[in-house]
Amino acid sequence: MLEKRNRLYLLLAGVCCAGYAWLLFWLWQNPLSGVTRLAVGCFIKNVTTMPCPSCGSTQSVICILHGEFLDAIYWNPLGFVILSGLVIMPVWIMFDLLLRKQTLFMTYQKAEKQLGTRRVALPLIIIVIANWAWNITKGI
Amino acid sequence: MENYKVDLFLMTKGKYFKSHHLMEIRERLLRADDSRGVIQTMQFHDPVLLLVVSILVGALGIDRFMIGDTGLGVLKLITCGGFGIWAIIDWFLIMDLTKDKNMEKLQPFLY
Repeated sequence: MLEKRNRLYLLLAGVCCAGYAWLLFWLWQNPLSGVTRLAVGCFIKNVTTMPCPSCGSTQSVICILHGEFLDAIYWNPLGFVILSGLVIMPVWIMFDLLLRKQTLFMTYQKAEKQLGTRRVALPLIIIVIANWAWNITKGI
Repeated sequence: MENYKVDLFLMTKGKYFKSHHLMEIRERLLRADDSRGVIQTMQFHDPVLLLVVSILVGALGIDRFMIGDTGLGVLKLITCGGFGIWAIIDWFLIMDLTKDKNMEKLQPFLY
């Protein structure tokens, strides 16, 4: 149980670090506005030239940081989810590690169980596919 | 379970497990009670199929969804396959992960 928790926390911390590094790289590359450039980091886009469901989320996060919320929604509404995760996850992981708790792990397991049910999974799949279709029509 | 049933199980479903688990599975199955035939009718994930899925649509997290790691699947999906790096790492991990998941599924019936 503890090993599973630590593995999850390590993975989440790694993803958050990579996310911050990626964001810093983008801001350093184009400090005033990162919205004019295409998504260069997407594996699917580079291989198939077709955007993936999360393409445009880097630009979306950068727009949110600049306070351009409508632009952020246009680029990819997932940017809000990603930025929330980037802000909340490190704090939550630190809280659990310092207080020797596993609230994040328990919440993760509950959420995973919920996501496995058709009632939750089906609407989410439809939203992701709709967002993907929107990404393709926008030609990000 | 009878000897021939255990051998049949290992012949048909041995590829779904790690090789170092096979002897343990054999020993446990010989001691297990399977009067209802639950173990023999169990469905397992095919590691080769998962590898193909991982190579083709791994960046969307479909491979993780298939083995039951829904949370990590969502994380992989929203991060573009973990910036593509996680998707590539999973090409090498997914077969072992699938076998581990199969073992986890079989575990309750062995003890």
